[in-house]
Amino acid sequence: MNEKNSIVEIWVYLSGSPLLALFITLAAYQIGLFAYQKSKQSPIANPVAIAVILVASIIQIIDMPYDTYFKGAQFIHFLLGSATVSLAIPIYRGLRSLRNRSFPLLASLAVGGGVSIFSAVGIASLLGADKAIQGAMYSKSVTAPIAMGIAERIGESPTLTAIFAVITGILGAIFAPYVLDVIGVKEWWQRGFAIGVGAHGIGTSQAFSINHETGTYASLAMGLHGIVGAIAIPALCQLVN
Amino acid sequence: MISGLVQILFFQSLGELLSKLALPFLPGPVIGLVLLLFWLIIKKEINHSLALVSDGFSKYFGILFVPAAVGVVLFLPQLKANALPIIGALVGSVILTIACSALVLKLASKKGDSHE
Repeated sequence: MNEKNSIVEIWVYLSGSPLLALFITLAAYQIGLFAYQKSKQSPIANPVAIAVILVASIIQIIDMPYDTYFKGAQFIHFLLGSATVSLAIPIYRGLRSLRNRSFPLLASLAVGGGVSIFSAVGIASLLGADKAIQGAMYSKSVTAPIAMGIAERIGESPTLTAIFAVITGILGAIFAPYVLDVIGVKEWWQRGFAIGVGAHGIGTSQAFSINHETGTYASLAMGLHGIVGAIAIPALCQLVN
Repeated sequence: MISGLVQILFFQSLGELLSKLALPFLPGPVIGLVLLLFWLIIKKEINHSLALVSDGFSKYFGILFVPAAVGVVLFLPQLKANALPIIGALVGSVILTIACSALVLKLASKKGDSHE
């Protein structure tokens, strides 16, 4: 057997097993993390966004259909459900530091959640986005794993929703400090909670890099928004349609 | 570590079961999350192994949605055709959301609350 044939055989073997997809995904995320740390944790160098762009480019270059890639990468995807369940721990930690702030927090969550849906769907339809895009806007402010579950339930694309959710997190982490300064909110717990409502996981990790109180309130907001969103968004969609 | 994973998978399975049988409009993991949260509130503590698994997950949460988000390759033409409304909606919405949530918090909480 000549050398070229054996390389082709190895290639065929690799691209048929989950190994290649898993390797590409982990390696791309590792590169993303490296860039994120090198950039002093700038939200623009978000490791998820970098990993997605890298993996998407690689599978297009090696001509691997998305279905084949996903068959391998589904082992990572599966853990999303378990990670969602584990959000109970940061929510519980947040609840313990609540004191008597429940009323303002719940009011803020209700208003913020409502504004995020109506502004996103409203602006998208005003600017002429098609139906699928508008539909994927409903749950984009909820943390990505829950957002995808909601999207499935309301018959919208989980993929588009996940992409919008990730972009929302990045944008939120970039804009939040300016927005909060402009409206003059100075308390760390208030800043953290608002970031968590609007920019879920990516905003929350940004908030934790500011200080512990900000991060705790951000993850509390992210978790509560996820739970409330999972109940309210399907109900809202039934009402609208 | 293993005991923490067992607890998470237990609540996740319970959530999936309830989602299939009783609450089809809620994703299974969300039900599992709520059940685990109630369990923690009743027990009033997080055991070490559970905390370890949860911290691991939250540290590397991002990588878990890479496989799904790579599905973007299937939507490239549609995203390109709708680029302006998408950018407008996402930027506008995230700014409005953060501003409104923060404003409500500021107005609804009493002054001096943070110094108690």
